[in-house]
Amino acid sequence: MLKYVFILSLMLPSWAFSQNSAFKAGEKLSFTASYNMSGVLTELAQVNMETSEVKTSKATLLRLKCTATTYSKWDSFFKIRDLYESYVSPTSVKPYLYKRDIYEGGYTKFVQYKYSHSKGTVESLIRKKKKGGGTYDQNKTLNISSSTKDIVSTIYYLRTLNLSSYAPGKNMSLTVLFDNKPTEIVISYLGKETINTNIGSKTCYKLAISIKNSNVLKGTNDNLLWLTADENKIPVFAKFKVAVGNGELKIKSATGLKN
Amino acid sequence: MRKLFIILGIIASVLALVLAVLPLSNLAYFPAIAALLFGLMAFYISNKNSQSVKTVQLVFLLTIIALSISIYKSIFQTVEVGNTEELQVREQQSEEEAIEELEDLDLEDLDLE
Repeated sequence: MLKYVFILSLMLPSWAFSQNSAFKAGEKLSFTASYNMSGVLTELAQVNMETSEVKTSKATLLRLKCTATTYSKWDSFFKIRDLYESYVSPTSVKPYLYKRDIYEGGYTKFVQYKYSHSKGTVESLIRKKKKGGGTYDQNKTLNISSSTKDIVSTIYYLRTLNLSSYAPGKNMSLTVLFDNKPTEIVISYLGKETINTNIGSKTCYKLAISIKNSNVLKGTNDNLLWLTADENKIPVFAKFKVAVGNGELKIKSATGLKN
Repeated sequence: MRKLFIILGIIASVLALVLAVLPLSNLAYFPAIAALLFGLMAFYISNKNSQSVKTVQLVFLLTIIALSISIYKSIFQTVEVGNTEELQVREQQSEEEAIEELEDLDLEDLDLE
């Protein structure tokens, strides 16, 4: 009996902390977002995903930062300068603070979620522009489940999953808090596939993403995400289908990888 | 029939020209090809009935301009990110504010390494 307890106690730390072996602070991924119309691609924006360390007096957190910037030729038509941030635990990728500060063609919005996992709530703050100038705040306290994440931490959380143990066809659902609404997304693992990317030919895990009770994403298995089938699980390619056409997200460069 | 093809040709070539000037220049190929086809049809009919080909030439001219603009753009224009200074300032500010916010939060349940 004691032997089992000993073995269990040896294994426990690896269970508890083995989640994130995919990324560390200082990682920088750069993507090109393009709009696809009948095979003709128009490059729209550059998307960056960066991680860095953030120190507070009590703890060290990981800052996950995603930015979207339109290319200069679009700036005079529809300028996008989006900033999405999530401050998460470096090991479990549990979010503590989420910030979304967007500028899209004159429209601005600021959203902040402060998580309180012990109480199971999120303090949400939405700041919008008033018509006459100035801004107004909207404060709300939302109830969440323990696994609820924001959009940024969800993307990174996907990378910490042990996809190699998944059988093709396996489904998994995650709850994402977006615009104050908990949205359930379903991820299904479709299998392995080798694709050519800007960082070389990679064997990838192919995942299909769908949102429950929403018709933003069209088609079944048309919204796909490819994560490299190595320890880093870098998102190298993503395809999505919306009402106005198809989009693609291709990797341009990846630096500061963990493995 | 000739008139219809000329009208369609002019519409398509103008559309191609407009798209070629906009940043969406890649999409100008579709109306440009359509304009060429309509132009050729109109040209063929005009020749058969020995009518004037002046307007058909206009369609070709506009299409060629649109095509040359989009081909030029696709070869010589490199995509680059515009001015991001303002965004960088925002990123910096946001991080500073975030640290203050995080100080207030209870991070007791944080699973530290």
